[in-house]
Formats: sequence, structure tokens, C-alpha cells
Amino acid sequence: MDTLTAKQLNALFSSGEASAVEITKQALAKIDKLNLKLSAFLSVFEERSLKSAALLDEKKQKGEPLGRLAGVPIAIKDNIAIEGEITSCASKFLENYRSPYDATVVRLLEEDGAILIGKTNMDEFAMGASGTHSAFSPTRNPWDLDCVPGGSSSGSAAAVSGRLCPLSLGSDTGGSIRQPAAFTGIVGFKPTYGRISRYGLVAFASSFDQIGPFAQTVEDVALVMEAVSRHCERDSTSLNLPPNGFDAQFGQSLKGTKIGIPWGFLEDLKGEARQNFEKSVATLTELGAETVDVDLSLLKYGIGIYYILTSAEASTNLARYDGIRYGKRAKEASSLEEIYEMSRQEGFGFEVKNRIMLGTYVLSGGFKDAYYSKAQKVRALIIQQIRRAFENCNLFAFPTTAGTAFTLDGMRDPLDEYLQDLYTVAAPIAGLPAISVPSGFSTEKKPFGLQLVGPQLHDASVLGAARAFEQATRFGEKIPGGFS
Amino acid sequence: MSDIRYDQWEPVIGLEVHVQLNTKTKLFSRAPHRFGDEPNQNIGIVDTGQPGSLPVLNKAAVKKAVQFGLAIGAEISRYSTFDRKSYFYPDNPRNFQITQFFHPIVRGGTITCDVEGHTKHFKVDRAHLEDDTGMLKHFSSFAGIDYNRAGIPLIEVVSEPVMRSPKDATAYATTLRAIMQYLDVSDCNMAEGSLRIDVNVSVRPKNEKTLRPKVEVKNMNSFYNMELAIEAEVRRQIQAYTLHPGKEFADAIEPGTYRFDQGAKKTIRMRRKEEAHDYRYFHEPDLVPLQLGEEYIELLGNSLPELPHERYLRYMADLKLPADSAAILVGDKFTSDFYEEALAIARNATSLCNWIITEFSGRLKEKGQTLKESGLTSEYVGHLVKMIEDKVITGRIAKQVAGEMLEDPSKDPREIVKANPNYQPLEDDSVIEPIVDAILEKNGQSIIDYKAGRTKALAFLVGQVMKETKGKASPDIVNKLILKKIEEK
Repeated sequence: MDTLTAKQLNALFSSGEASAVEITKQALAKIDKLNLKLSAFLSVFEERSLKSAALLDEKKQKGEPLGRLAGVPIAIKDNIAIEGEITSCASKFLENYRSPYDATVVRLLEEDGAILIGKTNMDEFAMGASGTHSAFSPTRNPWDLDCVPGGSSSGSAAAVSGRLCPLSLGSDTGGSIRQPAAFTGIVGFKPTYGRISRYGLVAFASSFDQIGPFAQTVEDVALVMEAVSRHCERDSTSLNLPPNGFDAQFGQSLKGTKIGIPWGFLEDLKGEARQNFEKSVATLTELGAETVDVDLSLLKYGIGIYYILTSAEASTNLARYDGIRYGKRAKEASSLEEIYEMSRQEGFGFEVKNRIMLGTYVLSGGFKDAYYSKAQKVRALIIQQIRRAFENCNLFAFPTTAGTAFTLDGMRDPLDEYLQDLYTVAAPIAGLPAISVPSGFSTEKKPFGLQLVGPQLHDASVLGAARAFEQATRFGEKIPGGFS
Repeated sequence: MSDIRYDQWEPVIGLEVHVQLNTKTKLFSRAPHRFGDEPNQNIGIVDTGQPGSLPVLNKAAVKKAVQFGLAIGAEISRYSTFDRKSYFYPDNPRNFQITQFFHPIVRGGTITCDVEGHTKHFKVDRAHLEDDTGMLKHFSSFAGIDYNRAGIPLIEVVSEPVMRSPKDATAYATTLRAIMQYLDVSDCNMAEGSLRIDVNVSVRPKNEKTLRPKVEVKNMNSFYNMELAIEAEVRRQIQAYTLHPGKEFADAIEPGTYRFDQGAKKTIRMRRKEEAHDYRYFHEPDLVPLQLGEEYIELLGNSLPELPHERYLRYMADLKLPADSAAILVGDKFTSDFYEEALAIARNATSLCNWIITEFSGRLKEKGQTLKESGLTSEYVGHLVKMIEDKVITGRIAKQVAGEMLEDPSKDPREIVKANPNYQPLEDDSVIEPIVDAILEKNGQSIIDYKAGRTKALAFLVGQVMKETKGKASPDIVNKLILKKIEEK
């Protein structure tokens, strides 16, 4: 039961073969057994999950309607609010902070019968690509415990990869769902910007942030999307579109699908990673897709503008953590200035401070034109170039990352870690839907991911092609040793 | 100091007026907008900056801002945006304010008003929406923060530096407040902080064309104090330039943010200009640009109420009120509406106007009340004036009746008059005649004077009779009787 997909578990529950309590107990037991190895969870909802499972069983007994995720345990990244639960963002600043309200996604998941099983570890405030920037403990990769699972949604990826639960939610700002999905051999999807409400998602960079699911299969991703992609009037950037049709292109051949590959931009892709990508492209061709070369040369500025713009937004989004209303307040502080300075000094980690300083700098008088304003213009140019490229193709294919998971102490220079986002920043820069789907393993038995990116609102096309690729390759069915 | 030539200098004044819009909820949250509640009752996750909370724009606030823009003939931006203004202060729950720095909703426009009998047109630069802050409360050993006010919608109206005297500034501010009241977009209560004014002041020699460095004066709690503050600041700057002719302008006047000390009647510097914040403005990514359609704007434009200046012109043209009286009436919507309601009962527009803006207003001022607070009704004030018109009472008795009305506004002046025999007019010739006889007896000289052509003597005699009858005698009858008696003599 512990390695089943969400769809399979839901079927098991619906048919009466397993009760929600049984499924939940099983998941709790597995988390209990393996979480110490992974540090995937920061908190586990034993009581809460069993209570909602029991309610669900009762509902079923009475013949009441059950949601599409009924009986399926799901883990929530610790930057998404659940009323009454701690939302720490893996930061000392919010170590004891309990959210006074539910995020829209949380409410929708519960309405659809999903069982919230716990909150997952992450890079502090979603800043990082390794999971090592958690203030509590680094998350580990089930495929190699000496390696990182990627980040920032490190715990959400590790939990699904290690089969601690079948589903999880993460958030993606520059690649924070797709990169860890690739590193841990599972599926991770960042929908079109605005497709999932951000109400209750602790903001890192508001114009980039997007919640998305991790799952073993593309099918499960579509299932979660149907539950959570509803219009939300509490998020002004939420799109008003019907919450269905994510599986509309499942089972269709890729004949007639044109896939653009920015070969020029991928010039530096080397070694096994390049071989893996070329093999994936070959698979897509075998499935009937036509590949074309597209010009996305401006993406060479992608990382640069990504760090300018996201840090600028973050520097203001994180200004609210001041020690006045909630969260950390330095005990020794004896004046207003000291409350600000010492609380933030003690509450934030190195990487978060880096970004706040960078963001403050690029917005400050005298530098804003050279950095923030210019980066905004480049963002517009990149979006233009992407739009032009989509005139000649339906989807883009990228490798998700330029390599496999690195070791926990492998990234000494923050700039190297920033480069992890090289192939993933395009999608959030332009608000595009993008998925990482398992594409094989390195000689060291570490997973690779293939990334498919679609035009805005073409989430179903992305999922359809990913589903075809998944069914042809089945790399995602492999389970890391010691976790089955 | 005696050789400072104040008359050779020209003040240059610009106003930044913050007005709280009277929406039911806050600008970016559903928390209620109410004044005077217990601290931290009207707050939600947005107003306290909880992690994960998001702003959602209140459409009612947008509507009110557009109405204001249309009322001053401004350009309504079809596309406007919101921006973050960053600074740390505990009353600011996100440590950034959401404002409209780059693309305000209202651009340009004109405030037209009467300044001591002259019609002036003051240009507005812009008006934008933004959210208010909370309020700090200091206790003996700690400070508390009340976030009830945090997030209340403000419209900030920024004038061009077009005012040239403290009186200009008061007229501009009064008219701005009246416009807001006529549109019902704000109650503009300075005491409750729903209208707040910052003044930018500079001075220059009368022939100079360029602007000199300005000083910002904050925290004035009434129009009266604003006028005093501007006067004081203008004086200070002229003195500074005169006493330090060699200094750079900025060194002479020490720009920065000043406050007005009411006791000392002086402006005092709170912050130097160099200490100004770097607000790091940039587009608020949690809000989408605000786009307004032609139809929406047209609809609001067509449903604007009569505005203060229109009403001012109407009072002069149709009711023949003098300019200064008309200006006083329209300057306060409550008073002006009160007047028009009373005018449905009384007929004499000028007399009614005087009763409201002089008689009642003067006595209320002594009591420290406004007309609105007094509880007086337009109906009863109308009837009071009507009784004079109908000669039911004399003006003199009316003043006494007014006094009783102020003491108990629920009293109908008609009942007051009925109930008090002293207020009954003396209309019986047989009662008045002996009194007239007695007065004429005592004032023979006046009769001689009158016969010699001094008409004033008649007024004196009438006055004496009125005094004797405690104002109750009908002046018409008294007049008639005296003339008759004099003729007879």
C-alpha cells in the first residue's frame, strides 16, 4: 500500500478495500520510520490526520459524496498556511508561528477529501536549491542520503520520492518544484502563474511564486490540479478558469506536436546530462513529436534578472518579519531599533540575509535604474522572445538541471547554487506552465529529469506530453533502495 | 528686525491632503472601517501583515476616487498601478505601504473657490489611493499599536505649488473638504483624523520666477491652525533669508519636516531633509493594474451631485445671497443642506442665511458645538424664521426663542411662542396706545426733532416703545401709532 499512487489509493478507499484510517496509519508509520533519515517533515499531524481519516470513513459509511482525493495523504510545504498549525518556512524567525487561517489550497484539498499528513522541510523562506538552507536540518535525497534532494521544496520532493506519502505540495519561484523533482526521480509541476491561488502561501517573490504538486505520476498531478486550481477572490492574480481538463490530452499521440529545443542556449550542457537529454528528445520523436530549434538566446540573462527581481520583491515581502507582531523577538532587545536589528539578525539565516541585502540594494536610490528597472525591461524582452518562439512550436523541452543531485557539502559558493536554476527560471520569468518528469538515471544511479514548458494556460498540453513520455519510459516507477 | 520687508516676498504654498474614504471595509481587506472602536477590533490577516496574506482592492474606494477626480475636472487614469513604499515603523504592518507612486488614478484637475470675494482656480497635480497606517499609543512603560486604522483607504490629493497666501490655502482646503462631503466620499472630520493636511511652504522675492527650497509642515489639527502655521513659517523663512543674505537658500531656511507648535505659534523642525527615507518604490506584484472602462467613468460622471462651487453660483444667482454668505454656506455640506431644507419652510433666503451663519452659528461657537452636533433641526429653524416673516413674532423675540431652541433642540419654536405669554406679540392698538402716549409725553424734544426733519428721532421713539413692551409690540403698529399721534400734536 505504501508505494501506491494517489489514484490507486483513492480507488482502494472508494472500493472499501482499505479505510482512510488504515491508509493514514500506514503513512504515519512510514514517516515515523524513515523521516529521521530524510528530514523531509518538520511536523507530522498524527492526531489531525487520523481524525480527518475517521471522519472520512464515517462519511463513506453514510454514503455521503467523497472528494476526488478522498483517503489520500498529502504533505504540505511549510510555507503554506494551515490554520492552527506552525508555518515556519524552515526559519528560526517563524519557528513557533501558528497560522490563524487556511491557505486556499489547503481548504480545497480538505474539501476534496485529502488527508493533510504534515508540513515539509525546505530551504528557509524558499530561498535555495538544495534543502540545506533549512534552519532546522538539511533534507536528504532518498536516492543517495549524502546528496541533497534539491530545493527549495526539498521535503515535499523527498517525502514523495521516498514514498512516505503519495502526494505533496511545493512552491516554485525559480525552479523550486521542478529541480527537486528531477533530483529525486518524481514528477513536479509548476502551473501557469495564477492557476493556483497564492492566498496563504508565504510570499518570497510574488510575481514568480506558484504552488504546485509533486507526485509519482503525471496522472496524479492532474488529479491534484483539478482539486486546487480554482479561482480565488482573495488572490488578485488568480485566474478565473474552469478547474478541469488537465487530463484532456492524456492518451493522445504526440503526432503533430512541435517541440522547440533551444539548442543554442543548451550549448554548455555536457556529459551524461546532455546524453540523457538527447535520449529524451529521441523518445519524444519516437512518440511522434517533431522537434525544432528555437532561439531563446536571451535566457542567458535569465539567472541575472531572476536574482535581481526576486530579491527585490523578497526584500519587501520579508520586511514584515520585524519582531513586533509575531515570530521571533530578540530577548535582549531594549529599543525599537534593536528589536528590528537583533530579531532579524537572530531569526534569519545566511542565504535569506543575502537576498534581503541584494534586493534592498537593487531597489535603492542611485542603483534602481541600473538593476531593478533594467531587469524588468529584460524580463519583458525574454517574454517577447519566448512568445515568438512559441509561434513555431507547441512546447519547449529543456533538461530540468545541468546535472544530478550534488552532495550536501557540494555547494560552497552560493553563486554555483544559483546556477541550479539555469534551465528552470524561464518558466517563472514568463509565468509559463512547466513540468519535470523522470528521464532516467546517471551511472551513479541518480535521477535525471526532462522539463517540458508550455505557453501560458496550456497546462493541459504540458501534462499530456509529459504523460506520454512517462508512459513510454516509466522511469518514475523506480523506487529508491530502502524506501519500498 | 524692523527692516524686514515682508511685503516684498511672495509665499509659495502647496498642500498634500490625506482624506479617509468612507468605505465600509478597508482598502485591501474585508475588515471593517469604523472609527472609535476598541483597539485591534477591526483587523484581519491583511491588516496585521500575517505571512501569506494578500491584498485585494476595494472597488468602492476606487469608485470614490474616480468620483472625486471627475468632480475636480481631472483626468481619470484608464490604467493605474499600485506600488510598494518601504520603510520600517511599527504602525506599518508590512513595513511597506501600498500606494500609487508611478501611475496615480487621478491626474490634474482644479479646485475652484472663493477667497475673500474673488474666485480662484487652484491646480491639482494628482490624487492617488493608498492605505492608512495603524496608530501607536504610548503608555508609561511601553507602547501599544492599534491596527484598527491600518488599511483604511486614503486618497492623497496633491496640489501644485499654486497658493500664494495662507487664506488661499484655507479656501482650498475648505473647498476640498466640501467637495468630498458633497460626493459623500468622506466625512472629513479633522478631529477624528479623516482629513489630514501637510503643507509645503517656500517664499521668494516677488519678482523671482524660480522656486526656492521648501519646508514641509505637518500635524495641524484645524484649518485655523493651518493658517497660523503657514503664516509663522512664511515669516520664519523671510526672516532667515533677510538675516542671512549670503547663505545658500537651503542653509538659510534649513529644509526638512516641521511641526506647528500652537502655544508658541512657531514651526519647529522634526526631521532634516537629509534624513529623508529612500522608499525604494516599485510595482506591487500582489495587485494587478487597475483598468477602468469608458462606460464606468461616464456613468459616474453623469451621476455627480451638485458641487460646492455650482451651489455657490446658484445661491448668488437665484437666491441673491451676497458672495461671502454664499461661500460660508456652501463650505460645509451639512450647513448648506440644512439651509436648503429650512428654505422649504421660510421664504426670505437672506434672512434665513443670516439666522444660520450668524445668529445660530455664533451662539454655537460659544458653546463649542457645530450645527451638526447641536441637534437643531432645519424644520424648526425654518419655522422660527417663518414666524418672523409672518409677523407672528418680532426679531427680538425670535432671538429669545432661538436661545430656548439651543437649550432644547427638540422644542418646536411655534410651541415655545404659544406657551409663553411674553412671546405673544402685542397687536392690540388699545394696549399699545397708552404706552405710546406715555413715551411721547416724556420725549417732547424728539417730536420737535422729527418735525424738523430728523427721521432718526422716529426710530428712537419706536425703540423706546419696543423697550417698554419688551419687544412684543409689532413695530408696524408702533410706527403707525406714533406717526398718527405726532400728526395730531
